[in-house]
Amino acid sequence: MGLCVVAIRWLLNQRLGVTGGYTSLLDSVRARSLALDWRALFFLGIVVGGLVFALIAGGPDFHGYGWLTQNFTGSARWVVAPILLGCGVLIGFGAKTAQGCTSGNGLGGCSIASPASLVATGTFFVTAIAVSFLIKAVI
Amino acid sequence: MRARVAGAAVGVVFGVTLSWSGMTSPVVIRQALLFEKSYLFLFMASAMLTAFVGQRLLRAAKTRAVLTGEPIYWQTVRPARRHIVGSVLFGIGWGVADVCPGPVATQLGQGIAWSLFTLAGITIGVTLFRRREERVEAAPAEASRAGQVAPAAG
Repeated sequence: MGLCVVAIRWLLNQRLGVTGGYTSLLDSVRARSLALDWRALFFLGIVVGGLVFALIAGGPDFHGYGWLTQNFTGSARWVVAPILLGCGVLIGFGAKTAQGCTSGNGLGGCSIASPASLVATGTFFVTAIAVSFLIKAVI
Repeated sequence: MRARVAGAAVGVVFGVTLSWSGMTSPVVIRQALLFEKSYLFLFMASAMLTAFVGQRLLRAAKTRAVLTGEPIYWQTVRPARRHIVGSVLFGIGWGVADVCPGPVATQLGQGIAWSLFTLAGITIGVTLFRRREERVEAAPAEASRAGQVAPAAG
């Protein structure tokens, strides 16, 4: 993964980032354009990478969906869908606001010692850890 | 064209590695965030270190980017309020769903249907941000407030 960051820097002198890739893809879709740039193709490449892995490994990496499908079972299972949708909104809006997600700030930005990325990465790690312990305390 | 091929190729490698390392699984992420396993932290740290050393070497060797010909350089960003606010929102989503954008993409590729909901949410979140950004760009006074630099914290 670290070498992927180095490869993008070495080939294109750019910061690697998944959210940037997805944003670029969405912009192309909104513009009804097929002219995808390298960022959009990087995102699509990751999807293909998941597919390649599943084909080699003979199936997905996991079944169910972690604590969510363990706790919302039977007729309550549907609750998982809106929870994931809501989390997606937070992830998308939050990553754009912070100018990066786990890859863009966490790998790309931290590895060039960008202070904003170091602050962002510290913040989302601390927040996610706190949220995880909170969930554990409640369920 | 070559930049696009490079982007796609690095993406495939990134996606396979992410899946193979187990980072696609919400169980693995949750175990790490609850400090039950140190794997995620070691994984992130080793990737950061590799990327740090690799990029410094490229810059020190005065290499030019292979596909664009420009010298290898980068600019760092000063921390602002947006990095903290955005990362708190992001961290809540990450902590509950135990997934971030890269793994969502690999889940989709692996055929995990749950990822469709997360991806739909990310689409909404990114679109909301873009719309807001366009409005801010249209109002310059608003833009200067958004660019205000906050003291480093966190």
